[in-house]
Amino acid sequence: MKTFYALGLLVIALLTLYLANTLEWPQRITGTRIDPLPALIVCAAMRAPVLALTLLAVLGSLWQTSLSADPPGISMIPLFAVGVAVSLNRRAIHTRLWGARFAVAAAAGALVPLVTIGFLVLLGHQPLLGWFSFWQLAVMSLTSGLLALIFFPLLEWLDHAVEDQPFAAPYDTTTRINRNPH
Amino acid sequence: MNLRPYVYAAGFVLGLATVLLALSPQSAGQVKLAAGSFFVPLYSIEARLQSVHYYASNKTATREELLDQNQRLALTNQVLRIQIQQLRATAEENKTLRVQVAFAANNQWKLRLGQVIGRDPANWWRTLQINLGSRHGVREGLPVLTPDGLVGRVHEVHPNRSRVALIGDPACRLSINVQPSRENGILTADGATVFDHTIVNLTFLPAHTEARAGDPVVTSGLGRLFPRGIPVGKLLSVEPVPGALNSQARVKLTVDSSRLNEVWIILP
Repeated sequence: MKTFYALGLLVIALLTLYLANTLEWPQRITGTRIDPLPALIVCAAMRAPVLALTLLAVLGSLWQTSLSADPPGISMIPLFAVGVAVSLNRRAIHTRLWGARFAVAAAAGALVPLVTIGFLVLLGHQPLLGWFSFWQLAVMSLTSGLLALIFFPLLEWLDHAVEDQPFAAPYDTTTRINRNPH
Repeated sequence: MNLRPYVYAAGFVLGLATVLLALSPQSAGQVKLAAGSFFVPLYSIEARLQSVHYYASNKTATREELLDQNQRLALTNQVLRIQIQQLRATAEENKTLRVQVAFAANNQWKLRLGQVIGRDPANWWRTLQINLGSRHGVREGLPVLTPDGLVGRVHEVHPNRSRVALIGDPACRLSINVQPSRENGILTADGATVFDHTIVNLTFLPAHTEARAGDPVVTSGLGRLFPRGIPVGKLLSVEPVPGALNSQARVKLTVDSSRLNEVWIILP
């Protein structure tokens, strides 16, 4: 378990949620409030163990709903599902490519609020929805993709800064073993 | 790949989410209060920074600026004093008339100023948070307003903060009165509110309504949640609903909630 990395993740989640809650200008410009959690969980899923992902989904969702009129923990399942889906397929995603980072986080940025709204409707709530909600969803998806471009290098730096790294991978593919040179 | 940790984690998250979503409103409020306590240090840091900024801007204001501001405030003060004299005479007259026709006397409002400390992070609700809670005498359902008009009502109360449901949120439907025609209706939210949060739907106006675009809309006082006569907005358009017994209208709210920094609560 990468303890310090997990703690760092939670601190980043808390700070970004606070900023998303208090900053006014994103909503004035786009008419949409920005959700940093989908981008954060996608970036975390590329490196963090499942326990850290679970903590991020549970606490992130609880913190976010404490600032909102949503029922507590409503986005927990969609966040966790996205995190697990990315974590299980982390080898198939080319995270060195900026386009791939953007695309995966943008998809998560659209999927998490959609599933959350689905849960709200299923539970009998009446969220405010209209044609403009499609625009809001598009903005949330786009900003999630853009946030991932910030979170990826930030979490890479955090991982290197707080955890011991091996000098070389145990199975270094660049080293060629020549068993019979003659 | 070892999937066992994922299975355990999924079971834990599903179980926890099910328990949380099945909680009673009171228990859900307690959970939110506990989770929200993590933000308390951040809010206090922000408050400290604001006071430092206020102190610094006070220290750096020039004498010219202060004199100019003072002159403007003195002028405003004179205008307001004249208006108070006028209103005092009207109040006396109103009091006498109320005694003559045996009407109950109007109570004075007990107002308390609150600061907006956050907005709902979800795009599908229209609520904001203020820095007053049950420790300051705030209760659920109390009206929230500004000098321009009604903002909403207190929806959730914590010890040191409260959530205000703004007009246009599903949790804040209110009965209003269209001024010259004195017709009542109910303000509700719909898809248009998502696009422009200062526009809300007015339903249950009579089918042959006399209300016209531009008419002022105030609280009706029905339901006793909001006092009568608080400005809410102006009618934008009135449309009859084909085959229905009532008309629909759109109301432009007088208060733009996205620019609010301070609000007043009417305490009981």
